[in-house]
Amino acid sequence: MISVRRVQKVYPNGVTALRDVDLEIAKGEFVFLVGPSGAGKTTLLRLLFREEVPTSGAVIVNGHDVGRMRPRQIPYLRRQIGVVFQDFRLLPQRNVQENIAFALRVIEVHPREIKRRVAQVLELVGLSDRGFALPAQLSGGEQQRVALARAMVGRPVMLLADEPTGNLDPQNAEDMMRIMLEINRLGTTVVMATHAAHLVDRARQRVVAMADGAIQRDELAASYHVEVTR
Amino acid sequence: MRLRTWAFCLNEANQNLLRNPVLAIASITTTAVSLLVLGVFLMLSVNVNAIATSVESQVAVRAFFAKNVSPSQEASELQTVRGWSEVRTAALVTKEQALAQLKQQFGNQAKVLDSLGSANPLEDSLSVTAQKPQDVKDVATRLADLSGVVHTTYQSAVVSRLFALINDVRIVGLAIGVLLLIGSLLVITNAIRLGMAARRREIGIMRLVGATESLVHWPFILEGLILGGIGAIAASGLAYWSYVAAYHSAVRSLPFLPLVSPSPIARDIALLLLVLGILLGAVGFRISVRRLARI
Repeated sequence: MISVRRVQKVYPNGVTALRDVDLEIAKGEFVFLVGPSGAGKTTLLRLLFREEVPTSGAVIVNGHDVGRMRPRQIPYLRRQIGVVFQDFRLLPQRNVQENIAFALRVIEVHPREIKRRVAQVLELVGLSDRGFALPAQLSGGEQQRVALARAMVGRPVMLLADEPTGNLDPQNAEDMMRIMLEINRLGTTVVMATHAAHLVDRARQRVVAMADGAIQRDELAASYHVEVTR
Repeated sequence: MRLRTWAFCLNEANQNLLRNPVLAIASITTTAVSLLVLGVFLMLSVNVNAIATSVESQVAVRAFFAKNVSPSQEASELQTVRGWSEVRTAALVTKEQALAQLKQQFGNQAKVLDSLGSANPLEDSLSVTAQKPQDVKDVATRLADLSGVVHTTYQSAVVSRLFALINDVRIVGLAIGVLLLIGSLLVITNAIRLGMAARRREIGIMRLVGATESLVHWPFILEGLILGGIGAIAASGLAYWSYVAAYHSAVRSLPFLPLVSPSPIARDIALLLLVLGILLGAVGFRISVRRLARI
């Protein structure tokens, strides 16, 4: 599903964000990206949905070499990828349903199909009764679930989340985590960058720990910190 | 794109316009005014040109006979000249008639001519007008070659000065029009750019969920076309209507002026303005599009 091969990323200002990163993620996996701020987690995620291109090396997503992709192919790559950010990024003047439907309208899905899928995905995130609320009328946790619904409504094969619980209180963060694990259980590959150690520890999924632009640790069914053998 | 996608783009464009109505109105009015100025200058230029052309074709070439030429020879030369294909009218002006005309032109100062007494220093001449203005010079040359003709004159200076004036007017008008067009282009560009800034978040999300770049662009293209188009429709309608109105009132009060009938020209100018206005909108988008890439 995802294959990152000897990837280096140097930004124009000279900062090296990734050094020689190798990473393989199979279809259906759930992967936590952990590590301190500036470790390169966000850059790695941005490479996966072609918001950035690698300085050297190759990023293969779903069979496409993302770095060498022609610009007009990018939209079609992104239709296979759902993305959630720390700061929700909802459209304030549109209600919940419209925010989610927006993602399908701009890829020209039939209105009847949009209606059906919006209802489905609202149920998935537990907001079926808030369809007509504006983002400002929702709690942070609800707003992030709307963003998650928008990311999932296009039925992507993979979900990328960049600190999705960073702005949420513990209860909402746990709800969010539960929904993301459910999404993964239904077959979507999930890559989640996070600082929320307790969520990582509880989930017992694959953990890729980064520091200073390089991968330090890559373990299955792991926790946030290096585990001392008990 | 599908029809409902066009509707989506149009709706987005409309929201951009409604978000900043003052700027939209400013764009539309500057476009309308600049196009209108351009149109008015075009119309003036076309008409002044027509008037000048008709004035030039009415310019008479005078061929003066030597004193010793007999009236019968003058009459036969007149017949010859009338046979030329480029000649429209030809008439013999005797020196007596010429003196009478001169007195008339002098008006109440005609007394100065009394000092001539019975002597008439003038000569018999042929007064010839050409079919076409560009024939005037040829006619003058051929007249000069006639036997008995000592010299010829025509008012080329007046005509060339008139044409120079028209040219100046045309250049000034065009320059003002072009400057105004640049001004309205800047206003339109600014309106589109503000729309882009206001829709920054939307554009980000559209790209994130896999909207094609053309779908990202079209709302702004439409915005430009709407701004330029409404201005152009106003300008071309106003130009057309005012030309027809001005033409009819001018024909009534100044029937001798050879004005250009509105039937093809007003429509052509109105169409030209319409096309220019729409082009302004398109170019306005083209200028702003680089900003869009950076969002």
